[in-house]
Amino acid sequence: MTFRQFAYRNVTRNKRKYAAYFVSSAFSVMVFFLCALFIYHPAISQDMILGTAANTMMVAEGIIYVFCSLFVLVSVGSFLQSRNLEFGILLMHGMTKQQLNLMVFLENMMIGGSAILTGTLLGLLLGKLFLMIGSGFLGIPPLTFHLPWQAPVLTICSFVLLFILISLSTFVFIGNEAPRGLFQGGHRGNGEPKVSKELALISGLLLLAGYGLAAATTATTVEIMMVPVVLITVCGTYLFYTQLSLYIVGMLRKLRRFYWKHTHILTFSGLSYRWKDNGRMFFMVTIVSAVSFTSVGVFASIHTLSRELKLDYPAAVGYVAKGGGHTSSEEKDLRGITAELEQLGLTYETLRIPLKVAAVVSQTGPDHTLQLPLMSYRNYKLALEHAGFSSNEPPLEGNESLVMIGSQRDRSLTAERFKATYTLKQGIQIEETGYTQHVPVAEYLLPELDGRGGGDFSGLVISDSLYNLVIPVQQDWYTGFYVDDFTRTVGVASELAAKGKVPYEEKSAYAVVISGTLFEIQRTLYSTMLFASLLVGTVFFIAAGSFLYFRLYMDLDHDRLQYSTLSKMGLTDQELDRIATLQLALMFFIPVLLAVLHSLFAFIALQRLFYLSIAAETGAVLTSYLAAQTLYFFFIRSRYLRNLKKNLI
Amino acid sequence: MPILDVHNLSKIYEGKVSIHALNHIRFAVEKGEFVGIMGPSGSGKTTLLNVIATIDEPTSGEVRINGRDPKSLGRKDKALFRRKELGFVFQHFNLLDTLTVEENIVLPLTLAGVSVKEMEHRLIEVSDRLGISTLLHKRTYEISGGQIQRVAIARAMIHRPALILADEPTGSLDSKTANEVMNLLVEVNEAEGATVLMVTHDAVAASFCHRVIFIKDGRFHSEMYRGTSRAAFFQNIIDMLSLLGGAGHDLPAVRL
Repeated sequence: MTFRQFAYRNVTRNKRKYAAYFVSSAFSVMVFFLCALFIYHPAISQDMILGTAANTMMVAEGIIYVFCSLFVLVSVGSFLQSRNLEFGILLMHGMTKQQLNLMVFLENMMIGGSAILTGTLLGLLLGKLFLMIGSGFLGIPPLTFHLPWQAPVLTICSFVLLFILISLSTFVFIGNEAPRGLFQGGHRGNGEPKVSKELALISGLLLLAGYGLAAATTATTVEIMMVPVVLITVCGTYLFYTQLSLYIVGMLRKLRRFYWKHTHILTFSGLSYRWKDNGRMFFMVTIVSAVSFTSVGVFASIHTLSRELKLDYPAAVGYVAKGGGHTSSEEKDLRGITAELEQLGLTYETLRIPLKVAAVVSQTGPDHTLQLPLMSYRNYKLALEHAGFSSNEPPLEGNESLVMIGSQRDRSLTAERFKATYTLKQGIQIEETGYTQHVPVAEYLLPELDGRGGGDFSGLVISDSLYNLVIPVQQDWYTGFYVDDFTRTVGVASELAAKGKVPYEEKSAYAVVISGTLFEIQRTLYSTMLFASLLVGTVFFIAAGSFLYFRLYMDLDHDRLQYSTLSKMGLTDQELDRIATLQLALMFFIPVLLAVLHSLFAFIALQRLFYLSIAAETGAVLTSYLAAQTLYFFFIRSRYLRNLKKNLI
Repeated sequence: MPILDVHNLSKIYEGKVSIHALNHIRFAVEKGEFVGIMGPSGSGKTTLLNVIATIDEPTSGEVRINGRDPKSLGRKDKALFRRKELGFVFQHFNLLDTLTVEENIVLPLTLAGVSVKEMEHRLIEVSDRLGISTLLHKRTYEISGGQIQRVAIARAMIHRPALILADEPTGSLDSKTANEVMNLLVEVNEAEGATVLMVTHDAVAASFCHRVIFIKDGRFHSEMYRGTSRAAFFQNIIDMLSLLGGAGHDLPAVRL
């Protein structure tokens, strides 16, 4: 037996131990490879719109890679820890530290190498399927199978590097103790779990505070609150596993009437030790699951926004010719758009309305607007009519005005926004009294009122009489092309705006929005994000499962001994099943349920940002994760019980 | 009626080479008796104990404990039978390290669903008798080997089983603690009237029994009663062991 054979046998004869780790690593490699296949696919990388999809996938690649490094590091660390006795024997028989390092390195590289190989091969096998699913998600014609040389090279190189670096870094951990120390393997129950009442209390308070703050956030405070709330919740979760849960079990143990009843004594004492040993692992599982639930949920929900895009873009193509010092090419541009629309065979109506831009001297409230776009009530009604919106807003009188919302998103912000009163240069005062019910002119076409942070409110609608009084500093003309099916306007006016829009703020003579192109870009982006987050979520999920599997495997010998004693003492099979099932169920579902709770509160906070309900999408995401976890639970439970009973009488 | 009646018990392990582990063993243990089983390695001691403990099935013959034959019971009923009628003391103690000492002791009672009051009452009684009242709140890794075995004895007797089965109870202890533990077993046997069946290699431990049964190659070989002097009994056991070979082979067959 050569040294390499020795290392090889160490691995292959411990298949079970490494099974979950191997599966999880291979799966990550596969997903990484598939993403690379997607990114470097010529149909994707050379397409303007789909290029954004490739960028999103690149981010997903990065996340998978970083997560994988952590996962491999933690897994390898715990494998080594479980082998102290073995290392002690080897050191005692005269193995040098270098040889031990080499052995561990070879073993790690064998597992890592085979995981990379398996992952890449599986990726090749499933590549076509993946591309079909991917194109289905993006709503593009099925991609042909194409193997760009970058995909396997990137995958193999990055993962080989990952495994080498992590194997090298493990040298720090192993064989530093004297062999004698290594022999004293970890007896369970060494040291009562240390729990302090104060920390348990703090944990409860932190969690409550996190949830409370998340529930209390409003649309405007979401961005400020996000980081502190997440930090509070993460701390609370950590303390929950290391303190609060142990404290609760400790309290239960004092209740003899409960604790000394049938199998409770066995269930909860075992549980408290599993909990103590695995608290940090549960913490990681919870956070990782919460992050993946939330991101998948968010991207699934964002998807719903595009359904309502029609409301945000009243005209399929909107064009604003800026007055003032700009040399206008309006006529030529409009002719171009008309020609393109006709070429596409689209029937359209046009509406051309004037907009006055007035100079503001002063205004109440925190912002300071220099240029105020104004639209007359008559023209506003006209715009709505063309867009097919109906409204029952009464005509405006005096210096009343309605703030034009730039998109439906703004609706969630109206409650918080300060209603300002403007004083124009010529002395006219205009008071904001409300908000328009619909979007008359699409976002980007008008300058925004409140700077970048405050939504997309763009200008005011004022009464016709007031409008006539205002002397503009600049006269703009808005032209809208109203088409029944705006999605068919993809690519129209691409020489005016390459990516579907030229915002008003830019230094050109016009602002233009082509809703079809924007919709296409947005839809592609959101679909890719959802797709990527589903992939990353699955990687997370499988890794979390692998942690649980490994922990159970580590405890198996101990549990077997314990249950064989109990079985001799007369514990029935049914009781054993019940104890093991309850313990496993708590281990499997408490982290996931806590993660679900975390993400529910995250959704509650995020709901404030959306004017559409995201309950259905998030519900679907959470339910499917729970279902997957349940399946995994039953699978592991049957295996665990079978292993447990193997040597039982 | 004897508490334990072993009748023509045979056990054959099937396999490429079938092994006749027990061959028509028969003996009986009366209530309140303290019986040792000795024999060289491979003589079938442990198999015998396992069959009596209902953990292993006999190939033929029968075992009656308290008048019942557990062979006819199903798996679950066998477990319930063990829980009620048998107490176990193991060589490696096999206390549950996740439980405290007192929780380990009351475990058989909690499984049986006894009331907390009754459990506490019996816990005090048993721990006083075994001199472990001060250890009750300790963890198993905080106490010594002798103390652990006392706790194991407490666990084996707290539910007042018909029969306590001890498998090399002194095997992991030094000679001084082994003597203490044996004295305790004798006390439990005498004061509580508990019936004890002990398998051992250790002639000193065996000399505490009322009677020692010797088996060899799965067959009943002979049995020996103690009489009055433990020292003489010990000498007789040593002689018998050296006659049997196995454990006592390094001792001369005849001693003066």
